[in-house]
Amino acid sequence: MTITATDFNLNGSGSVTKEPETLNKIPGNRAIWVGIFAELTEFALFFLVYFIAKAHYPEQFNQGPQQLNTLAGTLNTFALITSSFFVAKALASIRMDDPEQSIKWLWRAVFCGCLYLVIKVWEYHWNVDQGIETNTNKFYTMYYYMTFNHLLHVGWASGSLLWAIHQLKVGRYTKQNHIGLTAIACYWHMVDLAWVIIFPLLYVLR
Amino acid sequence: MIKNIFTLNALDFSWILLMIITSANALVAETAEPSLAITAIICCSIAYKGRRIMDYFMELNHANETIQFFMRSYFHVFPALIFLTDLFSEELASLTTI
Repeated sequence: MTITATDFNLNGSGSVTKEPETLNKIPGNRAIWVGIFAELTEFALFFLVYFIAKAHYPEQFNQGPQQLNTLAGTLNTFALITSSFFVAKALASIRMDDPEQSIKWLWRAVFCGCLYLVIKVWEYHWNVDQGIETNTNKFYTMYYYMTFNHLLHVGWASGSLLWAIHQLKVGRYTKQNHIGLTAIACYWHMVDLAWVIIFPLLYVLR
Repeated sequence: MIKNIFTLNALDFSWILLMIITSANALVAETAEPSLAITAIICCSIAYKGRRIMDYFMELNHANETIQFFMRSYFHVFPALIFLTDLFSEELASLTTI
């Protein structure tokens, strides 16, 4: 396959035409993909439990989403999608040999990660005020289990973004060598992908 | 050159599209009555959002084919399961009753 400027545009950046690390290869490294598939398997099990619980308690799963704070769930989705966008921009920047810009994009992504955590904590407090707790019914047990588990993932993935910022600052990630940053970006996108399924399951579908 | 200018904005376009779909989902959550048609629309939006993130943010559209296959399958299988479990909820309940 011939790589040309017009048919190969990674990350939407037309100026980056030849990027060997993801073309027909494993983005990042094998280890991160073992982790990503393990995490997705874990979330898959949650989803299967959700399906079975919903089949057994349809009334609770019909009423549950209506009592939740849809605005908080939507804002969290915005925060995660935007953070993923910023991480993709950071990767594009380092490929264009601009580590300073890459750091700026990563800080924005970390901010979005923190915003997600703040909104989620506020949402939990709001839930408790409405009388929604872990043992209120089966739907809310699923809700807390899934969202708290996801919150933990956002927490440590934000930590990995801070690590990437540090590596960029000390010059360990460069235009030629940034596989670590690609791996961290893939993990962050996986966290976003999990939420893409969780959000409609808990807030939208009844 | 024109293609390059367009693809330079592809990432931004993906972000805007994802935000619009999320807003539409939120609107559905607040207003629509539950039905199989709504479930089908939401399932399609999940599949589309997942594909968009995988292809444009995660860059899997050019990556290793095995990883592409498993990741894309995930976002075909789970939206389909969501719809099927809504469609056959009683059968699923009886199948999983101990």
